[in-house]
Amino acid sequence: MIDESSLWQGVKDLIGSRSVTLGGHWSFNLRNDPKRLPFVLSRYKFAAKMACKGREVLELGCSEGIGTPILAEFATGYTGVDLDAEAVAAAQRNFHAGNRRFIADDFLGKTYGSFGAVVSLDVVEHIVPQIEDRYFDTVAMNLRENGIAVIGTPNKTADAYASAMSKAGHVNLFDAAHLLRAMRRIFHNVFPFGINDEVVHTGYAPMCHYLVCVGCNKREAA
Amino acid sequence: MNETSRWDPVKDLMHGAAPVTLGAMHAYHMARTPRRILYTLSYYKFAAKMIAPGRRGDDPPARVLDIGCGEGLGTWLLAAECGFAKGVDFDAELIATAKQNWPAERATFECADVLSMKSEEYDAAVSFDVIEHVLPEHAGGFLRAIAGHLSPPGIAIVGTPNITSKPYASAVTNAGHVNLYDAERLEREMAAHFKNVFMFGASDEVVHTGFAPMCQYLIAVGAGVW
Repeated sequence: MIDESSLWQGVKDLIGSRSVTLGGHWSFNLRNDPKRLPFVLSRYKFAAKMACKGREVLELGCSEGIGTPILAEFATGYTGVDLDAEAVAAAQRNFHAGNRRFIADDFLGKTYGSFGAVVSLDVVEHIVPQIEDRYFDTVAMNLRENGIAVIGTPNKTADAYASAMSKAGHVNLFDAAHLLRAMRRIFHNVFPFGINDEVVHTGYAPMCHYLVCVGCNKREAA
Repeated sequence: MNETSRWDPVKDLMHGAAPVTLGAMHAYHMARTPRRILYTLSYYKFAAKMIAPGRRGDDPPARVLDIGCGEGLGTWLLAAECGFAKGVDFDAELIATAKQNWPAERATFECADVLSMKSEEYDAAVSFDVIEHVLPEHAGGFLRAIAGHLSPPGIAIVGTPNITSKPYASAVTNAGHVNLYDAERLEREMAAHFKNVFMFGASDEVVHTGFAPMCQYLIAVGAGVW
C-alpha cells in the first residue's frame, strides 16, 4: 500500500543522511546575509560553464570550498588553494572527494600543476596593487596551453554601496578597463562579463555590480 | 519657453541624418514579426561586446567579417561598436540594400560566397542564422572557411536556432532550415577549428548559459584558430 509518507520515504532514501556543517565564514554569511549564497554560487556556475567541463581545475582562493562542488561537478579533477588554513580545513571536511584536493598555502608565485582551467573569484581585490601582476602571472603559470582562466572581482563602481563587511580587506578594487588590461597582458582573448544579482550579462560595465573576465589563448611571454 | 520650443533644439541635434532604408526583408519582419529584429540585433550586440569590449571611438578598429549579413543592420552595429565591419551575403538584393545605407569607410559589403571569396585576415568573424541553411555535408567546409578568414588569435561567433526549438518555429522560419544544430554538435564542430569554444544560449534578447536543450537559440564563441 503506497501512501504519501512511503512515497516521501523513497525520496529521502535517495538523498541519504549525510549532513554538512559549514565553516565559520559561510555560517556567518548565511546568518547575516543569506542572499549572498545564491549570487556567489551563480559566479561559480558561470565559471564552471565557461571553463571546467572535462578539465583539471585549479581554484586560487577557494576559502571554505563553497564553490568546489559546482566547479568540480563536470571537471576531471579539482585543486583548491587558500592561505586561510581554517577555511581550507572546513573545505576539506565538507567537500572532499576522490578527485579533489585542498591545499593551505599562499599561492602567489607558486605552481600546483598544469591545469586546463584556473578559477579565482573575489581574490584580486585583496591583493595590493604593487603585486597584482604577480597574481595574474600565477594564474598564467598554472595554466596549460589552451587553458582557460575565469577571474572575478567586485566592480570598483559598487564600492560606494558596499557594506563594511564587504569592504573589509579590499585594497585593490578594479573597474572593467583595469581588469580587461590586466587580463590582456596574459591572454590574447579576453571576454568580459558583468553580474548583477545572479544574472551574468554583457551590459554597460560601470553599472555592473561584479566583473568577471574569461581569458584564453595565453600569450607567449605569459 | 513651451514644449515645442524645448523640443526644437533636440530635433536640431538629430537634423540632417541620412535616411535609412529598410529593405524588403526587414520591412517584412517589421510588418509581421517586429520582435525578430530585436532579438537578432541582440545577438550582434553580444558579438560586438565579445569582440571589442571597452573599445573607445579613437581606439584602433577591430576588423570584423559578417557572414550572411543580409541587409546589413547587424553589420553596421558591429562597425559602430568594433570600428570596422565587412558584410558578405550571396543574395545580391540584400547586399544592394545594405550598401545604400551605411558609410563605406566603416562598413563595406560584398555579394560573395564565403566558401569561395578571397581570403583576407580579420580579427573576428560572426555568422548568425546561416549555418542552418548550409547543407550538412557543406557545414564542415563552412566553419573551416570562417576560420580561414581569421588571424591566429581570431574570434568566431556562430549563432543558429536550437534544433529543440523547431517544433515551435513558424513555416517561414523553418523554410530553408536543412541543418539544425543542438549545442553538443555545434560545440564539437567549432572545437575542430578553434582552440577554445564557449557556448551560450539565447532566449528572447537574453544571452545566457542556461540548460542548453531549453535555449531557443545557440551561440558559440570560438577563440584561437587551430
